[in-house]
Formats: sequence, C-alpha cells, structure tokens
Amino acid sequence: MNGDTTIAGTVAHLLTPAERQHWKLAWLSTVDHKRIGILYMLTGLVFFVFGGIEALLIRLQLMVPNNTLLAPDTYNWMFTMHGTTMIFLVAMPVLFGIMNYILPLQIGARDMAFPRLNALGVWLVPFGGILLHFSFLAGGAPNVGWFAYTPLSEAPYSSQLGVDYWAISLLVLGIGSVSAGINFIVTVLTQRAPGMTLRRLPLFSWMVFINAFLIILALPILNAGLVMLLIDRLLGGRFFLPFGGGSAILWQHIFWAFGHPEVYIVAIPAFAILSEVIPVFSRKPIFGHEFVAASTVIIVFLSLLVWAHHMFTVGLGRAVDLFFVAASVLIAVPTGVKLFNWSATMVGGRVRFTTPMLFCVAALLQFLIGGLTGVSHAVAPLDWQTKNSYYLVAHFHNIFVGLIVFAILGAIYYWFPKMSGRMMSERLGKWTFWLMTIGFNLTFMIQHVLGLAGMPRRTFTYPDLPGWTWMNMVSTIGAFFMAAASVLFVWDLVISLFRGKPAGDNPWNAWTLEWATTSPPPHENFDALPPIHSRRPLWDYANPDRPDPVVPVGGAIDNFRPDKIKAGVITFIISEAGFFGVLILAYLFYNATSQSGPGAQQLDVLKTSIFSICLFASSFTIWRSEAGVRANNLGKMKAWLIATIALGGIFIVGQGLEYWTLFQSGVTVGLDLFATTFFTLTGFHGLHVFFGLLALLVVLGVALVSILKNGHFPALGAVGYYWHFVDVVWVFVFSIVYLWPLIR
Amino acid sequence: MTTQQFLTSTWTWNSQVLIAAVAAFIAYIRAFGINHRIVYLLGGVGVFVLTLVSPLNTLAAGYLFSAHMLQHILLLLIVPALVLMSLPRRVSLGSRSWLIANPFVGWIGGVGAMWLWHARPLCNAAVSSQVVNALQIWSLLLLGAIFWRQVLAPREEERLSPPGAVLYLFSACVACSVLGILITFSPVSVCPIYAQAPADRLGILNLIQSSWGITPEKDQQIGGLLMWVPMCLVYLTAIIAQLARWFAHPVESAPVMDKAL
Repeated sequence: MNGDTTIAGTVAHLLTPAERQHWKLAWLSTVDHKRIGILYMLTGLVFFVFGGIEALLIRLQLMVPNNTLLAPDTYNWMFTMHGTTMIFLVAMPVLFGIMNYILPLQIGARDMAFPRLNALGVWLVPFGGILLHFSFLAGGAPNVGWFAYTPLSEAPYSSQLGVDYWAISLLVLGIGSVSAGINFIVTVLTQRAPGMTLRRLPLFSWMVFINAFLIILALPILNAGLVMLLIDRLLGGRFFLPFGGGSAILWQHIFWAFGHPEVYIVAIPAFAILSEVIPVFSRKPIFGHEFVAASTVIIVFLSLLVWAHHMFTVGLGRAVDLFFVAASVLIAVPTGVKLFNWSATMVGGRVRFTTPMLFCVAALLQFLIGGLTGVSHAVAPLDWQTKNSYYLVAHFHNIFVGLIVFAILGAIYYWFPKMSGRMMSERLGKWTFWLMTIGFNLTFMIQHVLGLAGMPRRTFTYPDLPGWTWMNMVSTIGAFFMAAASVLFVWDLVISLFRGKPAGDNPWNAWTLEWATTSPPPHENFDALPPIHSRRPLWDYANPDRPDPVVPVGGAIDNFRPDKIKAGVITFIISEAGFFGVLILAYLFYNATSQSGPGAQQLDVLKTSIFSICLFASSFTIWRSEAGVRANNLGKMKAWLIATIALGGIFIVGQGLEYWTLFQSGVTVGLDLFATTFFTLTGFHGLHVFFGLLALLVVLGVALVSILKNGHFPALGAVGYYWHFVDVVWVFVFSIVYLWPLIR
Repeated sequence: MTTQQFLTSTWTWNSQVLIAAVAAFIAYIRAFGINHRIVYLLGGVGVFVLTLVSPLNTLAAGYLFSAHMLQHILLLLIVPALVLMSLPRRVSLGSRSWLIANPFVGWIGGVGAMWLWHARPLCNAAVSSQVVNALQIWSLLLLGAIFWRQVLAPREEERLSPPGAVLYLFSACVACSVLGILITFSPVSVCPIYAQAPADRLGILNLIQSSWGITPEKDQQIGGLLMWVPMCLVYLTAIIAQLARWFAHPVESAPVMDKAL
C-alpha cells in the first residue's frame, strides 16, 4: 500500500478506476465475494448496534429491583428482539461475511461458485432485518421470545402483527442462509485451486464446508415450522393450537430440532477461527489437525440428534429424558478434543499475544466454562432446577458472547489487514480486549450465582431479595463495559481504515493462501498461486528445506470436482427434502388417528391417481428430453420438454380442481387437523411443481432461441434433477395421503 | 417372579440357532483357516446367539416391543458388521454384481429392513408366527450384510470412499431416526400385539409392569428411542471409523519444493 492517509486515498484503493464514477453502484450491485463479505459484516454491525441497545435497556431495567423503567410488555419486546437480532442478524451475517471473504481466498479460488446467488443472500439480510423491525411501526414488536413458543405465539394469544413479522422475516433470513450454505458447499467442491485436495483444506475451510451441511439441514426445519405457524396465524390452521386438537409441544420439537444445530451453526465458524488464529500466533501447526477436523464432523452429527435436551422441563417422560441425557453428554467428547488440541498447540509454541490471539485465547477459556455449564444442563434433574433461571442465561451467553463474539472480534483483528490493507491499532485493540473481557465476565459470571440463587429469567423485574440487588448491579455495570468496548472497537475500525499502518501481504507471517495475495486482494484474487502440497502452502514456500509433510492424494475422492450446477441443485434438493420431511412428519403425527370430520374419505383417489400418473410420466418425458440433448437433437429435446410441461400442467390443474371441490364442500384450511395438514403438504408440493414449471418454461424459452453445442445443456440437467425430486416427493405424499387410508 | 429369577430361568434353547452358529464357525475355518480375525466372528456369532436364546428373546416374544427393537438392531447392525469384519482382506464380495455393488441397493436394504418390518401387519406377524419370525431374522441378517458391505467390504476397492461412506451412514441414520421419532411420539400403537394384554404364559407381566414400570405406552417409547438414539450412535461409530480411514492415509515423504513460483 502507498501509505496515503487521506480519506480520498483510502476510498480510492477500495475501488477500481472505472468504478470511482459510480461507487455506490459498485458496492450495491457487486457480485464479488470480498465486497459481499464486507456487506454482510457491515449489515451485522448495524444490527449489532440495535441488539446492543436492546441489551443495555434490559440491563438498565434489571439494575435495581422493582424497576419501572420499561413496562412489562416493552421488556418482552426488548428481550425477544435482542435474542432474534443477535442470532439471525448479527452472529449469522457477520460469520457468513467472514466465511464469504476468506473461504474462496483460502482455497485459491477466484470467487464463490454462484456469485449472483451470493448477492441474493446478502441482500436478504437487510430485507429480513427491516421486516422484523418494521413491526415496531405496525403495532408492536414480537414479545414472545426468540423461541416463540406456541400457543403463546398463536393468534388468540398474540393478536398483534409482531409475531407475523417475526416469522416472515425469519423465513426470509432462513432462505438466505440456505442459499449461502449451498454456495459454501459447492464452492469448496468445485472451485478449489489445483493441488488443493479435500484433505489439504486448511481447518478454517474444512469447518466452513462441514458447517454448511448443518446449515442446509437445519434451517429448512425452522422454515417448515415457520410456515406452519404462519398458516395457523394467518389462515386459521390448527397445527399448534391445543383447543383445535393441535400440539403446542410439536412447535418446541421443530424449533429445537433447528435450534440446537443453530448453536453449532454459529459455534463451528468460531471454532474455525480459533483453529486458524491460535496456530499462527503460537508459531506451530495445529496439534492433531485430523482430530480437530474429524471432531467437527462428529459434532455436526450429534448436534442434529440431541435437541430434546432443550425440552427436559416440558415433561417428555423419563424414558425420553434418559436417552437424551446420554446422547447430550456425548457432545462434550468431540468439543473436549478440540479444546485439548488448541491448548496443546500453544504448549511449547512461541506464543505472541497480539490482539487477535488475546481474543481467541479468552474465547477458549470462556468456552470452557460455557461448555462445562452446558454439560451440567445435559443432566435432566439439574436442568429442571436451573433451566428457567439466570444460570442458563449465563451458560448460553458464555457460548454466544464468550466464544462466538470473542472469536469474531479475533477474526476481524486478524483479517482486517487483508481486507483493508491496513493494520488495526494494537493499542486500541488491547484496550478493547480488556474492556470486553472484564465487561463480559462482570456481566455473566455473576449471573451463574444469581441463577443458582433462584432468579428466574424472562421476567421484567424482581423483588428485593438478599444478594440479588448488588449482583444485578454488577451485571449491569459489566454490560456498560462491553458497550464501551464496542464503541472503542468501531472507533478502531474507522480510524484504522484511514490511518492504519500499511499491512503488506502477510503481516502475521501466516501460512494459508489468503496471505499469498495483495492486501486487499485484487478483484480476481490471485495473479499466481504457490504450489500446494500440504495444509500450509506458504510455510512450504518460505521454508523449502523443511516443508510440512505432503498430504497424499489417495484416489479420485481427493480431487472430487462435480459439475457446479448439478452439485448446486443436489445440495438444494437435500435441503428441500428436510423441509418436506418436517411437513410429512407433521401430517403423519396428526393423522395417525383418523379425524372425525370430513377428511381423507372425501378425497377422490381415482381422479388423483390419474393426475399423479401424469406427473410420474413427466419424469420419463424429461429424461427423454435430456436424451435428446445428449444426442444433439434439439427438436427431440424441445418436443419432450413441451410434453413434460403439458403433463405437469395437467397435474396442477387437477390439483386445483380437487381443491375447488373440497372448498365447495366446506373443507378449508381451518376446518380440522386433517384439512390443515392436507392443504399444507399438498399445497407446498403444488407450489414446487408450479415453480418447476416456470423453470421448465424458461429452459424451453432458452432452447427456442439457442443452438446446441456438443450435446451440452446444463440448465436442463439441473431442472431435470429438481423435477425428479418433485415427483419423488409426490410418491411419498400420494402414498401417505391417498393410499394409506385405504389399507389401514 | 423377581428380576433375578427372570434372568436365570427364561433362556430358550433354540437348536436351530445353535446349529447355525456352529455351522458358521465350521464354514469359516474351512474357508479361511484360523486367523486373528476369527475374533470378530466369535463376537458376531456370540451376539447372534445371545440375541435369540437369552431372556431378551423371551421379552421380545409378545411382551416388550422395545426388546424386539433391540433384537432388531443387533441382528441388522451388529451381527452382520462383525461377520463382515471377520473376513480376510483378500475376499471379494461380488463387486461385479450390479445388485450387490450398488450403494443405493445397500442403503435401501438397510433402511428398508427397518421400515418394512415395522409396518403394522408385518410387525404383528413376526410375533405371532414362527415362520414369519424366522423370515424376519434371516432377512435382517442378509439386508444388514448388504448394507454394511458398502462400508466394511474386506477389499478396500469394493468400499465407498470415506466421504461417501460418511454421507451413506449419515443419511441412513436420518432415515432411521425419522421412523424412531414417529414410533416414539405416535399416539397409536405401532405393533398392537404388544399393546394388548398378552397371554402371560410365563407369569412375568407383573414383573415388567409393576417392578420395572414399563407400561405398553412407555414400552413403545423406549422402542422408538432405541431406534432413534443408540442406533444412530452405531452409525456414528462407523462414521468415526471412516474419518479415521480418511485421515490416516500414510504420509508421503516431502519432495523438494519447487523454488520457482
């Protein structure tokens, strides 16, 4: 960098000469993963201010007993918005931003696999955030907690629009997150530099890759739950309303089946940051790379299995509790492996306590405490006593703040030089660190004691009991330390962007590929790459006489590079399968006993069978159409494609007629549980068929104006996979909804 | 009857099972001789015999759905896996046969065995009919072997690649969890023959329901949970083994680095 310290100079080097004339557009219309990453992070920072102010208001209200600063309802708004904002609008976007910026650089790629999809993902965040906050203007924010337990969140008990805005905005954010997850997976699979085999991925990239599977598996569960909640609230459905026969507990199952993996969706990127920063500042490769990498897979697996430990206080019964105690305690093993590996990396290393390292070491220690209190919550009897107390608040803030926020701050201090070309101030950084660490521990350590002393969470005030007042006062003071640290951090960001020391390409002497290019990297990321034989290519390059052992290439899988479009569609299908899986399970659960009202008996199985045969036949016709492409026969391809569209159209019309008949005889969504589940399941399938038809029409339009080259038409292949998937879903739906009642 | 009396007096000596066990040993020794891998066979056959002659079998025969589920898991997942592991590395398991070699067939076999045998009529029939029961046992062993072949085939080249195997096992766990979840929370009986008051021919119903506190509803819950949680932990164990296989590949010696970038 040229050391130009004027604002104009700084702005100038963030833009290419051609872009300076229209710099707003250059950022608003960008599809470059680096700018998208920064947009993600800036969006997260803006919402961090919102969520932080809400946190301070909560702490001010709780500073003294019997406080009247916030009315009870306002307090409920604050803690709902604080929780929702911090998870969906701060932690996820900021981490997605870091991953977006670093992942392609670290694997030697030019960009993400789908840059436009990436841009969609980032713009859905402010869209969802604004929707959520618009509720303040539309009669009141949601006030049912970030978990929105039913039946409280149902229309009869929360009649204002807050919960609707909450659900719709989370749906928007969930769709954006799934798109980002798909993009991470396909980027790692298809965009790696030559020589960067799957086993040579640095830990950060490996964990982002594994975590992306968790994203595409867990978010659809929430999305399915949200649409069910919205159908209840807006269309009079009965999913979670006990007096309509629904099950309020089912919402908790769905929410925590998403919610527990969600903790890991934000924790694994934090693990990834620690695994990157700690070795660099210990001047040693990570201790037991393979164990850290493998334990990540195990954590992902287990996290999907143990959600019921969030529900011990529901009263699921001793049998259920027992199994989930055992499974939950197991998670401590792979996380413990990670803690030991990070610690062992520092042992015997030349540890440099720079600001990023300080944040990461503090994250490690605070995560140890949060992890141990987490294990204590896995024990059901203790959980019954502490679940609804501040002990739990302290526990999960140790994870969300103590681990994740600290890791994020470490990551920003670590990668800011790469992103801006300038160093952040070490002096301000250390001030930020100590203010943050003292503030965090003042705020939350004392809350363990408060919780064990019996202070319940989620209540707007408390009586003046012995010890409670001063402990709450300490906690509030701590919160203001954290606020001061945050202000200082933002000041450091701004001042360093303009006045920071030039960073050079590799200020920390790190070893991964993002440091092999200029800071900030050029639009296309790299001019040339060093050879890649291990997980630390820059170490090998700098130390040719003692390189890392070569990570061997064993078989085809190491160089696995599927077709980009097909990989994208298949990951999308996996995620959609999760969505339909939840809807199908809900259908089976509610229809296990026959409903008394007009229901399954009224369905015309014969007529629907005929429409179904049309849909199944369309799988055959689209396959023939693809055969036409392979034979380089455009006419054949178009003919079979038109046949596919016609068959799909017949199915949609048939389903429409069936709906019409049902409506005529008074069967609507709100009638009973059968109707609610039936219309939800078949309706969402119909919607997918409809979108599939649109995609087929687009493909047909493209085919009409283009010429085939070498039997290659990737769009049709991609839509074809999707179309087959929609048909397979119908096989299940048709069997369950129409055929099952006939045989049981 | 006390629990202790129950555990000592309800072994069922089933000659077919013992003959099958002895036959398996004779066949193994004739084919491969005695080698250190026979320990796995010992384990596999041991589990097989215990599953079918111990008090577990008594409980599964009409008393407890959960005992039946445990048998199901042992026969489908544990016994075939141990038997496959006992085979020497040189043995080929028909990689040329499309049906055996295809991972989709293996997956459908392993997962389908779980779903199919818990369809209500089949589940009931497996308890009430000796023939169907025998059919169930042998089909579980066979389908389990087809499922595990993708992961545990003696020859490295006949197995899935480690990441592929992880996806294979993970998706199998999801598919079985879904059924486990349904069984755990189903408001109706999955296998009504266990829910009816059984003909208490051994006089242990009081022991089960009063001393152990297992009511028919709780019994079904435990059955579903067994399929949901411990069964997935079996798959998880296999996943850990696959990750070890993936990362433990021998490290080559470092070549001289190319100095020119």
